[in-house]
Order: sequence, then structure tokens, then C-alpha cells
Amino acid sequence: MISTFFNHELKSFWRSKNTGKSIAVKVIMGILILILLSYVVFFGVFLDFILSKMFPKDNLTVTFCGIILIYFLGDLLMRMQLQELPTLKVQPYLHLPVRRNSVVGYLALTALFSFFNLWPIIIFTPFILKVILPASGGIAAVAFLLSVIALSVFNNYLAMYIKRKANLNGWIFLMAGAVLTLITCGDFLWHFYSIRSLSYSFFGALLLKPYLVLIPILLGAAMFYLNFIYLKGNLYLEELSSKKASEYKSSTEIPLLGRFGHVGDLVANEIKLILRNKRPRSALIMGLFFLCYGLIFYTQAIYGESVKIFVGMFMTGIFIISYGQFMFSWQASHFDGILVSRINFSDFLKAKYLLFTIVSTVAFFLTTPYVYFGWRVVMIHFVMYLWNIGVNTTIVLFFANRNYKRIDLSKGASFNWEGVGATQLLLSFPLLILPYVIYWPFKMLGMANTGFAALAIVGVVFIATRSFWIKQLEADFYTKRFKIAEGFRNK
Amino acid sequence: MIEIKHLKKVYAGQTVVNIPQLEIKKGESIGLVGNNGAGKTTLFRMILDLIRPESGEVLSNGHNVAGAEEWKNYTASYLDEGFLIDYLTPEEYFYFIGGLHQKNKAQVDEYLLTLTDFFNGEILKKGKYIRDLSKGNQCKVGVGSCLLQKPDLLMLDEPFANIDPSTQFRLKNILKTENKNNGVTTIVSSHDLNHVTDVCDRILLMEKGQIIKDISTNSSTLNELEEYFGVGQIVAPEITIDKEENH
Repeated sequence: MISTFFNHELKSFWRSKNTGKSIAVKVIMGILILILLSYVVFFGVFLDFILSKMFPKDNLTVTFCGIILIYFLGDLLMRMQLQELPTLKVQPYLHLPVRRNSVVGYLALTALFSFFNLWPIIIFTPFILKVILPASGGIAAVAFLLSVIALSVFNNYLAMYIKRKANLNGWIFLMAGAVLTLITCGDFLWHFYSIRSLSYSFFGALLLKPYLVLIPILLGAAMFYLNFIYLKGNLYLEELSSKKASEYKSSTEIPLLGRFGHVGDLVANEIKLILRNKRPRSALIMGLFFLCYGLIFYTQAIYGESVKIFVGMFMTGIFIISYGQFMFSWQASHFDGILVSRINFSDFLKAKYLLFTIVSTVAFFLTTPYVYFGWRVVMIHFVMYLWNIGVNTTIVLFFANRNYKRIDLSKGASFNWEGVGATQLLLSFPLLILPYVIYWPFKMLGMANTGFAALAIVGVVFIATRSFWIKQLEADFYTKRFKIAEGFRNK
Repeated sequence: MIEIKHLKKVYAGQTVVNIPQLEIKKGESIGLVGNNGAGKTTLFRMILDLIRPESGEVLSNGHNVAGAEEWKNYTASYLDEGFLIDYLTPEEYFYFIGGLHQKNKAQVDEYLLTLTDFFNGEILKKGKYIRDLSKGNQCKVGVGSCLLQKPDLLMLDEPFANIDPSTQFRLKNILKTENKNNGVTTIVSSHDLNHVTDVCDRILLMEKGQIIKDISTNSSTLNELEEYFGVGQIVAPEITIDKEENH
């Protein structure tokens, strides 16, 4: 039975819309995964180098044994944030004559198929082979490897368990987070105890007494069993699904937008769309993280002013790029409704412009503290802000007319490939290249300031001619709307 | 009201809708029936300019609907949940739709009062987003927003499918009053032959994309339709009760 499940699982992976039909997406996806994986492999292979550079005074094996538990602490934090529950997929089997144990066993087992379980093995195995194996012999090496695997299994199921519990009661997640924070603070901030020495005392002992490997194995098995029992007792849809128990949802108004009439109503709707759905919300939150971009680049002198163009564009316009690249897909689920309603398409476009302008303006003001790095930085930000609301918004909306993919709003944004297609790739070229096309010629001639002025002027010209661009986009939309609407209807 | 000329839609080599000529007059109430895949929803979508016909055109009040905006002012429709903005609360959605038709909140609230029975206390002030409502209640929101628009043409695709019997009954009354008292042209599709023959004055029967029957409803219509849909079915033999044994 479980092999049938796996068969279905494979089919669902290859046939899902997320996997993407277009080859371009598959290639890019593959390359990204390879890059990520090669980083991890690189890190693992040179871990002994890195450790001896970081802690030159200590014995290599001692340092290694010390970091393992610290790694797993961070690993647990990351899993709680990012790892997805393998859940609702069992729904079609629950009412069939399939034994509960197979369903639960399958659910529990598929949880192991996660990248997070691969990482510790890739990171630690090379070190174990390079250092532990020659020094302490084969049995110790095997014991080490088994402990690492068992601990990642333990973490895997602990994270799952916490997440499942948290689905029923949001406080549990906060409590688990608080406990983890306390554990971390207890070591690194208050120095009550040291996870490093705890880690060393176990793994150091493991070198001499390999039978201690039973402890992590037992822990992992116990956690698996706990999950199994919990799942078996709670095999109900509401408890499996990632939908949180719903509280009272109140209607809200955004009074300021009222003065923009229909356009304001549309913007208000879109703001609600962003705040009330998981995926656009995470796009927005990611945008907030991008505001720290400057801290990375401005603190280092090696980056010149041309990099600042890029940084300024991203900080003031990340929302336009990250949210705008999937434009109209966000509204895929009710696009038919929009088409038959009395919404004028030019109003629809004006609302997009207004939304982008509002968010970019907020982002610009949030970046003003970078004045610490000089007024020139703020000037560049302002220039790129004008560029964003002038040029980039128009580019993004132009590509929005060419985007036919539906997006499910309720899924998270990380590693989510739904809605990604060639459009997004094509879109990134003009976004990244255009500002430099204008800036660099001036820079080459030694007139950097004129280059910035040129960028600002182009931005302002585009803002001033918005109504013209809206007309163009509207005409363009009318030739493509059937294709867009049909694409959005395809679930 | 609606005039269809040589309308044709082909999907993957199969003709799903093929209507050479159809006229729907103002104030008529049309029932659209047909088995799955007969082309009812596709026809609806073409009347609403949501999909591009291979050939032919749909005229609404004499103007081609394709690319036009005018018909949206007097046409209200609910085909499926895709017509609702599902992350809004029903109230927010009604205010939004009302706003599109120049109605302020007070006017919308006032109109919604008349739908109190129809909503049966399950829509307003429940503190739920539309996506968290059941399909039947979503349908109520859709129908409610249609009525709110005070349309001249009302189009509903299988409105009876998901709602409870009381609501079905109320919806039938609403459709009848809108049609008889307010002169609204209604086009309703349904699989429930009783409902359609009850509500509609004219029944269009579709099969494989074509309208094969165009009946004005009378007392024998229901039988006629049942005969069509019962084709090829073995009718259960009548149960005869032996009087001797059934004392």
C-alpha cells in the first residue's frame, strides 16, 4: 500500500502545476538547487579547514564535536520556520478502505523527504570521513554518522510535532519559539551553561564508547513514535490541514483611500488581498527584509556608486518587483468576476500604479535613516524611487499582460514555484539593465551626477506621462484578456 | 435583450457550442437545461465576453458584447466562486459592488435588509471571509451581489445546486418577483427540472453544444423534459400490491 502512495506522490510532484511546464523554469530551478547544494557540499568538504581557521587554538575534533548540537539547535529553528507539513494530500484516502496505519505511516515517512534532512548529512559526513575515520577507526565513524542521522530525524519529527500542535493552537508555536530563544540565550547571552561543552561531552564520549549511539537513535525513534501516535489519534481534516482555527474576521476600511473613488476602492481591496493571504503577505515581509540590504553594501567601501543604484532600486522598489512580477495572477481566483463587473480597466491599472506608488513611498521614507552614510545615499535612493514609480511600474505592468498563470494565495512563498514562468525571467532583464544603460555612459564620461540626473528625469517623464502608458497598457490588455482569463481559470 | 448569431466555440477540435440563431426578448425568463458537457457554462461565458468565440457574435441590446463595457452596467451574473473576491468579508464585498454602481454604504445596507430572509442569518456579521463560507453560502453572496446591482439582465449558472431547500424555495420566489414585477430578464441554468419549469417561461434544452429544443413552459413541459433525460433508462416496474396478502 505504501508503495502505491509513493507512486501517487511522485505523480503528484511531476504533474503538479508548481513543477512548471516550461523548460526554462525547470532549468533555472535545477541550477538554483545545484548552486545551493554545491555551497553545502563545499562547506562540508572544507569544514575542517574552516574550523581550524576559526578556532586555531583548539583541537579540531573537540571543536567539531562542540558545534554539532549548536547546528541542530539552529536547524530546529529553521525547520520550524520553513519546513512544510506533508498533510492534506491524504484527504482522498481517508474515506477509502485503506488501513489507518498505512496512511499514518505514509504521512510520517514522507516527512523524511525534505531537504532539511539532507543538509546535516552532507555537511558532517566529509569531516567524519576525513578526520574521525583515520583517527578513531571505523566503528566510531559509523557511530558518528548514525548519531547525526538520528538527530536530524529527531529534529524533523520534533518540528513536525510542534507545527501540528501549533495548527490547533497558535500559542504553542510562540511558546516553542520562546523556549528555543531561552535555550539560546541561556548559553550565548547569560552563560548559564554551554551547549558546546554539552555537545562535546556527548560526542567526545561517543569516540571512545560507540554504543552511546543508541541514545540519539532512541530519541529519534521515540519522536517518530510520538508523531505516529499523535497522527493516528488526530486523523481528521481540520486537525491535519494547515488552516488555523479561525477567529472573528472583521470588516475594515481604509478611510484615506476613499478620496480616490473607484481607484481607491480597488487599492483598498488589493491591500486586503496582500494582508489576508499567505503568499502575498510573505512577499511583503520579504520586502521589509530587503530594507536591510543597505547595511550589507554601504558598510563596505569596496562597493562603488554603481552598486548603490542597484541597492537603492531594490530597497525602494522591492515590492514592485517581488509582488509586481506575478501581477494579475494574484487576482486569478476572481478574475472572471473582475472582467464582468463594472470595473473600468484603466481604473484597474490606475489602482496598480497608486498601490505601487504608496508602497514605494513608504519604503523610501523607511530608508531615510541611511542618511547616516551620507546625504548622497539618500539622493540616490530618491532618484531610484522616482525611477521605480515611473519606469519600473510600467515595465512590470507591461509584463503582467503576458502572465497567464494562476497562483494559489494560501501557500507560502518560500520555494514556491507556482506562477513562475518565462515572464518572470524576461521581466528581470529590463529591470536590472535599464538603469545602467542610462547611467553608465555618463559615468564613463566622468559625469556621474549627470547620470543620476538623467535617471531622475526619465523617471519623472514616465510619471508625467502615466495616462499615456495606461492607455497603451489598456489597449494591449484587450488583445490578451481572453488568454489571461483562460489561464487563470486553469487550476 | 440578447441576440446570438452563428455563435460557435471549438475546444481541441470538438465543437462545444454551436448556436446559429437565438433571440432572448426583454422580460423573458429563460431556463437552460442539458447534461454535463452540453455547453451551458461555455454559452454563459461567451454571453459575458469571458471567452472568445470561434465565430459569430453575441449582441446585448443591439451591441456586440466583445470588448464593450456598456453591457456591464445592466448585466449581473454569478457563474461560480471565481466571481467572488474571496478574501473579503461578505459586507466588504457588497460595499465594493455597491460602490461600482454608485451606491453608498447606507444604500447597500438598506438593500441588504430586503435579503434578510434569503441570507437566513448566515452571511452578514458572521466574521468570516468569503473563502471560509460553505459553497451554498458563497452562492448566496453571489446571488445577493447580483440583486444588489439592480440589473436588467440576470444570469445564474446552477444557482440551485449547492443551496438548502429553504433557500432554493426563496430563490425561486426572488427570481419570479424580479422577472414578473421588475421586468428583469433572467437566464438560469439548472439540473433540477422541477425548479426550472417552475421559474422559467421558456426552456432551452442543450445537447452537444446545440439548442435542440426551445419550449415555452406549460403543464406538459416537465414530462417532456423528463422523457428526454430519461432516455434509455429502464423504468422500474410499478409495484403491485396483492390485495389478498395486504389485508
